[in-house]
Amino acid sequence: MRLIARYAVELEEVYEIVTVWDEQTDRVRVSKSDPHIETLSHTHPAAIWFERKMHDDFGIVIDGAFDNRPLVHQERFPRGLHPMQKHFTQTAIEPVEYLPYKYETIGGDGVFEVAVGPIHAGIIEPGHFQFSQAGEEMLHQEVRHFYKYRAVEKMLEGKTLADAKAVIERISGNESVAYQIAWRDIALQAAKTELPDANRKYHAMLLELERIIHHLTDLGFIPNDAGFGAALAFCSKLAEEARRQMQRLSGHRFGFGAIGFEETKTDTTQMKLYLDDLEKEMRFFEEWITDIPSLWDRFDTTGMLAHHKALKYDTVGVVARASGMALDRRDNDFYRAHGFVLHTEKSGDVAARFKQRLAEVKNAIVMMRALLMEQTDPVTLNEVHDGDYTAYAESSLGELFMNIIVKDGIIERFFVRDPSFMNWQALHLMMPGNIIADFPLINKSCDLSYAGNDL
Amino acid sequence: MIRFWNKRLKTGTLTEAPEIDTELAALRKSLKDEVKKKFAGSLAIRMVDSGSCNACEAECNALSNPYYDLERLGIYFVASPRHADVMLLSGLMTFNMTPHVLDAYAQMPEPKWVITLGDCPAMLSPFEKNFAVNAPAQNHLPIAHHIPGCPPSPDEIIRGLLAFLKKI
Repeated sequence: MRLIARYAVELEEVYEIVTVWDEQTDRVRVSKSDPHIETLSHTHPAAIWFERKMHDDFGIVIDGAFDNRPLVHQERFPRGLHPMQKHFTQTAIEPVEYLPYKYETIGGDGVFEVAVGPIHAGIIEPGHFQFSQAGEEMLHQEVRHFYKYRAVEKMLEGKTLADAKAVIERISGNESVAYQIAWRDIALQAAKTELPDANRKYHAMLLELERIIHHLTDLGFIPNDAGFGAALAFCSKLAEEARRQMQRLSGHRFGFGAIGFEETKTDTTQMKLYLDDLEKEMRFFEEWITDIPSLWDRFDTTGMLAHHKALKYDTVGVVARASGMALDRRDNDFYRAHGFVLHTEKSGDVAARFKQRLAEVKNAIVMMRALLMEQTDPVTLNEVHDGDYTAYAESSLGELFMNIIVKDGIIERFFVRDPSFMNWQALHLMMPGNIIADFPLINKSCDLSYAGNDL
Repeated sequence: MIRFWNKRLKTGTLTEAPEIDTELAALRKSLKDEVKKKFAGSLAIRMVDSGSCNACEAECNALSNPYYDLERLGIYFVASPRHADVMLLSGLMTFNMTPHVLDAYAQMPEPKWVITLGDCPAMLSPFEKNFAVNAPAQNHLPIAHHIPGCPPSPDEIIRGLLAFLKKI
C-alpha cells in the first residue's frame, strides 16, 4: 500500500491518529495523558516526517522510530510546547536558548561537511541542506526545512470554509489553483452541491495552465543549472506569456481567486491562438534542446532515483512518474475524456524528469483545447454541513491531499499534505555517486515547494 | 545550433519599453548623480524570503526574463548580503526565519536599506498573526520602502524600486 498522509486530530478525550493509504484509512485512538504510537518508518520511511511533526504539534511520542529529533520546531523554539493542541492559544512566543540540531553525518578520514542555507545564493525559498562529502563526491545529504513554517493549520481553525480560502490559495504560490480545487471539492461536499460539467472543465483548464507555467519555468532553469542559459531565456519568455494568459483568464498572474462559483467568460478565439503558438514554440524547443549533446551529457544518469526506491519512499508527481511510477490523480474518466494520457519515464534521472515535464506540457496543451469553455454559470452553494471531508488534486508538483473537519459550521481541523512533503524525503537518495556541483541541477529537476512543505 | 541562431534573429528583441520608460528616462537623468554617488551606478539587491508563498520570488525571477530584463536598468540580484546595497524582504518573518533574516541584515555593508516586497512582510496579506509569525517586519528592521501587492507584478516591482531610488 502507498502511504499518503499520517496526522493527528484532537478529540474531547483522546487523539485520533489518522493514517491515509491509497486503499484504506486507518484510525487509532490514543489517550491524551500519555499518547504513544508505533512508528511506520521501518516499512514506509516517508512516515518519519509525519511522525516527527505529530510529536512537535501534539506531543505524541513515537515508539521505535530511528529519528526522534524535532522537525518543525527549530533551535530556538520553546521546548515542550505543542501548539496544535487546542488549549494552546498564544499568539506570540519568545525564542529560548539555542540548542544545536544534530545533523545526520557520515564519519571517516577526510570526510567533511558542507552546510548550505537556509538562505540560498539565488532567488529561492529558504531551506537547509547538509552534505557529507568525500572531495567532490556527495556521500550523503540531509534535507532540513520548516524555516517557512507559518502554522497555517492552526491559523485556519475556527474559520468558515469561505473565510479560509484566501489563505489556502496562498499556501504555495506555484500550486495555488490546485489548492483551490481541493478546497472547492471540500466546499462542494460540505454543501452537498453538484458542480456543473462546464465549471469543472474551466477549473481543470486553469489547473493545466498552472502546470504549464511551472513546467516551462523548470524547462528553462534545469538547462540553466547545467550552464545552458539560452534555454532559460527561451523558456522564461514562454512562462511569462503563460502567466499573462493566466492573468487574462482569471484576473491574476498566479490565479489567486481563480477557482470559485461565480460566472466566467473566456475569449476562446484568443485562447486557441495562444495554444497554437505555444505548441509551435514547444516543437521548436524540443527539437533544439534534444540536439545538444553536451547538455544531455549532464542530464543522463545524474541524480538517479531507482523505481523501487521511488516506490519505497511513496513519492508522488513528476518525481514518481520519471522513475516509472504510473501515478497521477488525473488518471480518471473525466480527464481521459479530455485527452489526458498518463506519461512515465524509466530512467529516473535528471534527463527523465526533464523529458517528463516536456511530455506533460505537450499533453496539457491538448487537454486545454478540449477543456475550453466559453462560459460557466454561477453555482449557489447550499448550507454547510458538519463532517470530515477529503479532497485530492494533481498539482504541477504531484498529488495534493487535503482534509478538513467541519464542526458547528467552522473548521475544527485543517490538514494538508503537499506533494513536496513526500518528495523532499526522497531527495537524498539521488545524491550518492554525484558531485556536489550537480546538486543544484538535481534539486531543480525535482523543483519542490518549500512553502507548501513547511506550511 | 544553427536553428537557434535562426530563431534568435527572427525573434529579435522582446524587451518591452513599457509606459514607464519615458518616466524612467527622466528619472534616470535626475537620479544619475545620486545613484552614481550612492551605488556606483548600479544597485545590488539581496532577495531574502522570510516565509512567503513563493509568488514574490517567482515575480523577482520573472524580472530577468526577456520581457523585463531588469539588469538593463543597472539593478541586479546578488548572491550574498555582503555584496548588497538593498535587502528585498518578502514573506511573513516566520519565527524560524527571523534570526536568519537579522543575520543577513547584519552582514550587509553600510549604507544599507531594507525594502519590503508584497503584502506579507507588512502583515497586510490574509495570513493572521500567530505564534509562528513575527511580521510586520518593521518591528524588527528599519524599513526604507514598501512595494505593495500580492504578489506585486514585475512591472510594479520595477516602479517600486524606482520610487525607492527617488525617495533616498
